[in-house]
Amino acid sequence: MTAIKTSNLTKHYGAVKALDGLNLEVPENVVFGFLGPNGAGKTTTVKLLTGFARPTAGEAIVAGQRVRDGNLALKALTGFLPDVPDFYEWMTGQEFLQYVGELHRLPGAEIKSRAAELLELVALEKAAKRRIGGYSRGMRQRLGIAQALINRPKVLFMDEPTSALDPIGRKEVLDLISRLRQNTTVFMSTHILSDVERVCDLVGIIDKGKLVTVSTVSALQQRYARSIFEMEFIENPAAFVATLKNIAWLADAALVNLNGKPAVRVRAVDIGIARRELPRLVSASGLTLERYELSLPNLEEIFVEIVKGGQTK
Amino acid sequence: MTGFLPLLKKEIIEQWRSYRLLIAASVFLLFGISTPLTLKYMPEILKSLASEFPIEMPPPTAAQSLAEFTGTIGQVGILIVVLVAMGAVANEMRRSTGVMTLSKPVSYAAFIMAKFAAIGLTFIVSLAVSGAICFAYTVWLIGGASPAVFTGMSLLLAGFMLWSLAVTLLFSSLFKNSVAAGGAALGSIIAISALSAIPVVGEYLPGALLKWGNDLLAGTGEVYWWGLGVTAGLTVLCLLLTPRVLRRKEL
Repeated sequence: MTAIKTSNLTKHYGAVKALDGLNLEVPENVVFGFLGPNGAGKTTTVKLLTGFARPTAGEAIVAGQRVRDGNLALKALTGFLPDVPDFYEWMTGQEFLQYVGELHRLPGAEIKSRAAELLELVALEKAAKRRIGGYSRGMRQRLGIAQALINRPKVLFMDEPTSALDPIGRKEVLDLISRLRQNTTVFMSTHILSDVERVCDLVGIIDKGKLVTVSTVSALQQRYARSIFEMEFIENPAAFVATLKNIAWLADAALVNLNGKPAVRVRAVDIGIARRELPRLVSASGLTLERYELSLPNLEEIFVEIVKGGQTK
Repeated sequence: MTGFLPLLKKEIIEQWRSYRLLIAASVFLLFGISTPLTLKYMPEILKSLASEFPIEMPPPTAAQSLAEFTGTIGQVGILIVVLVAMGAVANEMRRSTGVMTLSKPVSYAAFIMAKFAAIGLTFIVSLAVSGAICFAYTVWLIGGASPAVFTGMSLLLAGFMLWSLAVTLLFSSLFKNSVAAGGAALGSIIAISALSAIPVVGEYLPGALLKWGNDLLAGTGEVYWWGLGVTAGLTVLCLLLTPRVLRRKEL
């Protein structure tokens, strides 16, 4: 089942194309990371998907509802956490959840139990009766997540949910997000790559208003894998390196020091041949293999490569 | 108007906890008490200050006291309405509280109407309490007056106040800066009130309500139904426009 589907979703602000023909499908119960540099169109996309902005062209379906102005049924099925959640400082955390539950027209008893459950989930039960004015940034962010979940949303939109947090606050929020996928589809816009790498099942990369790619983190790593192999042996591999230097399908072979141990690093001319033939050469060398790895790039390296290189799907 | 009741409840609690109700009621009450007191004792104060050159002042009348009270509320009271309401929408939009509320299944119209109802209620209650005290003091210190006439005056003043509130909310939704919203609202209210001084045209404008109130007290028998109708129409128009303005802004 598809939780979010957009067809040619476009938004222009005057001559500026903030979003240019977005075609995207996000399946149910995944954490989707929407990644892009500042000004790429992430917030515009979130505004369009939550109905706070009207598209110049195209359409979007979220939780089975067409996104359009005044579609309150859509709002009943979704949750939203803005980038910097702000609250009525005179309310307590519990009162705010009560207020949000009433806006969702939940029965009184359900609001009470749901608020208690969410306050526990976001570890705010001890601060529930304290005024929000005295909450730290991390506590506000967690309360923001709780208010977005009160209606058990099918789709939860989070705009830069960790950008304002310190490392501990970020860890807490990411742990929480990864637990949500059991019942909710999370659409998380961010420019923090390590967050995506850590919690997202699917990644969409947007640049200059255009969707560049949608994939899983591991598939992206495979797709953008560099043709570098690293090997560690129990014995000294110097002689093996000399042999490898004469292999035509290898561009380079070198003895390197990895973690204080001598290791072999080779760069293949053709990664396919290298994947097939290199293990055979290792076996023939008579050395005792400790580690053999095709070097995978991290998301940051892939992101830079995609955005700078302007590659398309 | 989906979501109106919880929004109204929140707005009323906010009026109370932010002390807006208390401050508005206290200021209005101050005018309610001080107007008849000042009128009653001013001649004696002046007499004691200027014993060599006695100033002869006519004795105060109940009509004078009530007219001064409504006149003050019609100026200072309206200024307080603008000050309280100018940030009602603008501040919620500048921060993300408005976006969080409007991401729930509530209509923009309910969001605005709840603010209008809560702030309006604050000022109507303040006007009613201070008016009742002013009337009681006036009768006690100066002399009898018609409660029906004063009630009529106060209702007309309340109508003018609600129109001013609706205008301020409209500007509060147009501007992100509450001071700019307040300035624009106050400027518009003053300009339209100034136009009310123009003969014939003035009878069709909100300022006619204040003139009607004074005429009630003077017993001239002048009525300005067109002025009342236009004020009600403009109030409704502002309340219809404000949610549309907010929606078009694409939060």
